[in-house]
Amino acid sequence: MDEKIIKVLIAKPGLDGHDRGAKVISHALKEAGMEVIYSGLHKTIDQIVHIALQEDVDIIGLSIMTGAHISIVGKLMKKMQEEDIIDKTVFVGGVIPAKDISKLKDLGVAGVFPGGTPLFETIELIKTHMKRT
Amino acid sequence: MDLAKKVLQGDEKSAARLISIMEDGGDEGYRLIPLLFPHTGKANIIGITGTPGAGKSTLIGKLAVIFANNGKKVGIIAVDPTSMKNHGALLGDRLRMKDAENTEGIFIRSMASRGYPGGIAKATAGTVYVLEALGKDIIMVETVGSGQTDTQIYSLCNTIITVLTPDYGDEVQLMKAGLLEIGDIVAINKSENTNAEDISTDVKAYINQRETKGRQIPVLTIQAKEGSGIEKLVDAINEHFVYLSKNIHGKELKKEKLKTLMLALLREELWGKALKTWTDNECFDGIVKKLQKGEIDPYTAVRAALEIKSL
Repeated sequence: MDEKIIKVLIAKPGLDGHDRGAKVISHALKEAGMEVIYSGLHKTIDQIVHIALQEDVDIIGLSIMTGAHISIVGKLMKKMQEEDIIDKTVFVGGVIPAKDISKLKDLGVAGVFPGGTPLFETIELIKTHMKRT
Repeated sequence: MDLAKKVLQGDEKSAARLISIMEDGGDEGYRLIPLLFPHTGKANIIGITGTPGAGKSTLIGKLAVIFANNGKKVGIIAVDPTSMKNHGALLGDRLRMKDAENTEGIFIRSMASRGYPGGIAKATAGTVYVLEALGKDIIMVETVGSGQTDTQIYSLCNTIITVLTPDYGDEVQLMKAGLLEIGDIVAINKSENTNAEDISTDVKAYINQRETKGRQIPVLTIQAKEGSGIEKLVDAINEHFVYLSKNIHGKELKKEKLKTLMLALLREELWGKALKTWTDNECFDGIVKKLQKGEIDPYTAVRAALEIKSL
């Protein structure tokens, strides 16, 4: 089984205590053949970047339900630049209003999956993105 | 070359990348190990095994913080199972190591077993060397936790801690080969749940029948979540490390383990190469078809495969 396997960190930043969605997506990505690390609740941006660095993941998936997604993603991108791990791809899921999707993409997010997005769409986008890179 | 140099300078990011290259089967990763190997051998490599849900990750998290507070640099490798159906894995061990995650100097790496047998991954040994070269004094390896066959860490680690819980089963479980057989220290976790002393007495009774070269195997009751009993466990780990380094039996054992580790890696390499040779051969599909049609049994199919001429 020596082959490149996509490694994903599913992270829950901030004070948000709802992680059903994060667990569902973690399970789905595992079923799709990826290796998934779930961060657990209440992680700071520094902690998330620290985990991503030690685990050398390909993808950081943020699950955000608090409405603070713009500010959280901005901080994450800044910290990733500081730690020189900008090669890792960032996806965001959760409660994300449609009007904010383009703003998140402008910040460098590769894909946004608001609640209700079919799981296969998330899986396909990650796989397609990894093929390109 | 640069990657190995950076690891030796203590760069975590380079260590993480080198581990990934090894995990993905890249020979270029394993080829860097000889550059790191001369800088290894001093760290205490501790294996933690036991059944799923026994509390291995929680225990490792607590141990790591105590070691770190005592001025040690700690590395953790937490192995979880890879799905045999889709090759995916949920790596959920570091979730239980929150305190360790927030402590300076602790490096945690999750790792999927990727089909390697015995409770670790092919890259686990290489990762131990990388973490030693990174400057870690203590490296803890957590096995998959699939139970009695999680024994591959025996050849990789100096000290094995077998983690049991009071609901491990009946005494027949204690008589079986496997987990208890390889433990240098036994920790009975979640000891608040029942009469821990009775359990401890039962375990000791079977442990004492083992050939241990004059050393008594400690059986400790702990509550990993609350952190109770962990200090005693640290003492037992340190005592065993001294025992191994000062005792002639310990030195011989280390040599024996290295040979076992090499043979285990060799077996996997040979299997991988042989499997490719077989499946690439046109006769192979014919044999499999006969098997699937019920014309031959699996043992006959294996004999036929072994007789494929090009081998």
